[in-house]
Amino acid sequence: MRAYHAKAGAGLWLLGMLVIAMLSTQALTKDWLETGFLALLPPAEQRPEIAEAVRRHNELNNRKVIWLAGAESTQQAVTLAGELKRQLQQSALFSRVLMQLPQQAYIDQYRQLFPYRYHLLDGQTRRMLDNDPQALIDQNLEMLYSPIGQMQAAALERDPLLLSSRYFNSQNPFKFKLEQGIVMLHDGHYSWALLLSDLQDAHLQLDKLEQLLALADTASAHIEAAGGRLMVSGMPLFTARGAQSAKQEISTVGIGSSLGIMVLLLATFRSPRPLLLSSLAIGSGLFAALIICILFFGKIHLLTLVFGASLIGVADDYAQHFLCDSLGVKNWEPSKGLRFILPGLAIGLLSNLLSYAGLGFSPFPGLQQIALFSASGLLVAWLTVVLLFPLLLTGFTFDHQPGLLKWTGYWEQRWPAWAFKNRHGLALLLVALIGGGIWQLRPQDNVRLLQSTPAELTDTADKIRQLFPVSRDSQFFLVSGKNQDDWYRNEQRLLENLEPLKQRHALEYYEGISGFWPDARKQGENYSILKRVLYDSGLLSRYMSNLGFTEATVKAELQQFIAVENNRLTLPEWLKTADEGKRQLWLGCDSASGCQSIVALSGIKNGSALSGLQDLPGVSWVDQVGQLSSLFARYRVRAGAMLAAACAIILAGLALRFGWRDALKISSVPVTAAALALAMLGWFGQLFSLFNLFALLLVLGIGVDYAVFFYIAGHKRASASLAVTLSALTTLLAFGLLAVSKTELVHAFGFTVAAGIVTALISAPLLGRSGRR
Amino acid sequence: MSFIIFIKALVLCLLFSSHAYADEVLPQITARLVKTAIAEGDFRQEKQLKVLRKPLISTGHFTYHHSKGVAWKTLTPILSLLLVNDTHLLTSQGEQTVPVAFGKIFTAMLGGDLAGLSDVFFITGTNQSASWQLQLSPKDELLKKVIDTMRLAGDDELRFVEIRESGGNITRIEFTRISHPAQLSPGQDADFARLSR
Repeated sequence: MRAYHAKAGAGLWLLGMLVIAMLSTQALTKDWLETGFLALLPPAEQRPEIAEAVRRHNELNNRKVIWLAGAESTQQAVTLAGELKRQLQQSALFSRVLMQLPQQAYIDQYRQLFPYRYHLLDGQTRRMLDNDPQALIDQNLEMLYSPIGQMQAAALERDPLLLSSRYFNSQNPFKFKLEQGIVMLHDGHYSWALLLSDLQDAHLQLDKLEQLLALADTASAHIEAAGGRLMVSGMPLFTARGAQSAKQEISTVGIGSSLGIMVLLLATFRSPRPLLLSSLAIGSGLFAALIICILFFGKIHLLTLVFGASLIGVADDYAQHFLCDSLGVKNWEPSKGLRFILPGLAIGLLSNLLSYAGLGFSPFPGLQQIALFSASGLLVAWLTVVLLFPLLLTGFTFDHQPGLLKWTGYWEQRWPAWAFKNRHGLALLLVALIGGGIWQLRPQDNVRLLQSTPAELTDTADKIRQLFPVSRDSQFFLVSGKNQDDWYRNEQRLLENLEPLKQRHALEYYEGISGFWPDARKQGENYSILKRVLYDSGLLSRYMSNLGFTEATVKAELQQFIAVENNRLTLPEWLKTADEGKRQLWLGCDSASGCQSIVALSGIKNGSALSGLQDLPGVSWVDQVGQLSSLFARYRVRAGAMLAAACAIILAGLALRFGWRDALKISSVPVTAAALALAMLGWFGQLFSLFNLFALLLVLGIGVDYAVFFYIAGHKRASASLAVTLSALTTLLAFGLLAVSKTELVHAFGFTVAAGIVTALISAPLLGRSGRR
Repeated sequence: MSFIIFIKALVLCLLFSSHAYADEVLPQITARLVKTAIAEGDFRQEKQLKVLRKPLISTGHFTYHHSKGVAWKTLTPILSLLLVNDTHLLTSQGEQTVPVAFGKIFTAMLGGDLAGLSDVFFITGTNQSASWQLQLSPKDELLKKVIDTMRLAGDDELRFVEIRESGGNITRIEFTRISHPAQLSPGQDADFARLSR
């Protein structure tokens, strides 16, 4: 009968695994690994058009890699940049590598916009015409009489007022020095040649990211060998470095915890069977978790796998409880053993699942994945133990005294006795430790915690931004209007308000389409004012004659001016001439949401002055980083409440099974563990954020597990303490290793869980002891 | 007959030697030039634009400082100040794009750093006892689109510059009353301070 049950269970397990294996053929064939940092963040909690604008804004930024080849002499920098360009092109990673400025594109743009020079006046020219037209004439004379202005002089015949060169000058406000068509940046006497590249795909796969890093490293070595230096920056590089360290961590944590568990199990059981069975439980759990996660989310993030690696330690617990039950029992029968430990196993699983469900309720896709991964992995490992082990453990005996038992014996008998004797002092110490630690906690809610960024990379990025202040900040304005006219009015009003802020250095630069393209009405206005103050007033004719133009040329210019009066440049026409960066600012019009555009910002120094402008009609301030950080803070508070709720649920659940008095006793272990873990964060000056609170949920789950096993152990206290010690050690090996992570979030998780488990391990044996007295 | 050939050969040889390549002439001319940290003087610039019937003539005062750059103060017909070094160009209209190789040419020229010019130009020239002359043609394709040839002439100072642009416009600058003060006047210092800001 029993054997029949065991076989049925095993059959059920086999069937389940077959289904998962079949699903895996479908899941693992597509591209299933996610590495990007943004995939971890919750979708913007705002209107869909803002989310769309954020997507467009990021799409362009997230593909850009900036390269600076530096040398003592300009000429050498140019040579190095040329070699670098060849290397980049050969790599086939990039859709575009830009070194020389695209001369032809500028010429084409000039040619296309030239017929509209009287209509497309830049802001400064327009202000001078409004206020002091003679000043405009004087500026032109100054330019023409100076030793520079060759380009302007060459255009003088066709454009005597130099309107075109004024317009183009205002379109490109950053004045960079060019050397053989390459932008040269200077840092003292050191010269840097600039190269811009766009990756082919904003979502690079892991192997491509590794190629990018390898390329950056070889290029750097190459340039340094030639006596130069290389600086590289850009979002893809941050992602690549993050993915690289995550990969290393997966192997460190995975190999470290596997090795530790192997040594522990072999030393304890002196037989390969427990090790093989534990591996089977862990392996099927991890495999099932991977497949279920991919099927559910489409893709799985690298960071989830880092956590997944640590799951090994928890998934192993159930196997340990089962195996240790056989300690010292003659003719131990697996099915009987299972019946004895099943309540403990079930409560352990439930409390763990409950804590992972807590993670799942956070809005962060990353944590949701971790929750599903861990919960499904644990469930399958648990099912493996419960369904398969009764069959596979037939005939297993465990009647030697493992070395570990000496330690656990001391720990479960002598330590509680000593602790009971000194309970007043210990209680005081505990209160002081917890109170003092919590008092020192300083919360941090920064979105950057999700990513590991080597300081070296951040320094380079800062240095590049200082030399080349063109890169747009992540904050921007979204401007909308019912129709194109309405949008134009709104954006113009915003730009008018931004100009004084720029003068006061609240920001370096802003860029909006309406600053370059006047609408039809304004084009007409521009033309009229030129006509009134320069052409009709005779100022232009005087200026031209004084310079030395012939009568005929003056007359031709006047005729030309009259002939183009009704020229108008439409927005689509202007967009066609604009470069990619400016085109990206226009989000388009549709009947549902009207017209929308982005006003991009650079070098923001006073964010609050800028965000104040969102009260203007049709203007929204979009600050992803700020929003996420406030989201973190909000969810930190919410996670605190969740933690309290979890305590209440655990208490209620335990009370149902064991009664209120004992439920309070049992839950004192996980609560103490969580409180002390929190306090340790304060004592050790560790990062305290939302994520530590999620880690405390796990501590609660695991703490309940240990406490319950000690509580129900009864006469089997020796085997329970062995099982709990083995579980705690394996969990510590796994989560403790997470503390080596360079990603703040992962590190914080590891530290918190490790501190909590040590506390739970120390306090669990106190339970049964005091309960008996 | 052979005598005539000999004479011709000799003339050719002489021509060749006086019209020697930069390698030989440049160091000789450089050696002649007075080299100090500071030079200042008056200029007269004449720009001949194809479209205009008369040249644009301006006069003023220039100051060269070996590390700070050049201040070009136009006094007539319109008052203006242009400041330039290797990397920056500042006019009353603010920061400007430094035209191709302009900063370098300007500072090298006024500082007597002819070797620096040979990075950018192919240089040939003659060096005679009374005066020297150099012909410069750009090496760089981009610069060629703007400048066709340049001519520099002088004695122990640079006295004359002619720039023939590819579009046909010509700029000629004469320098007079060149002196080498030991230090800048406070006014000149203030001008340069704006450039290094």
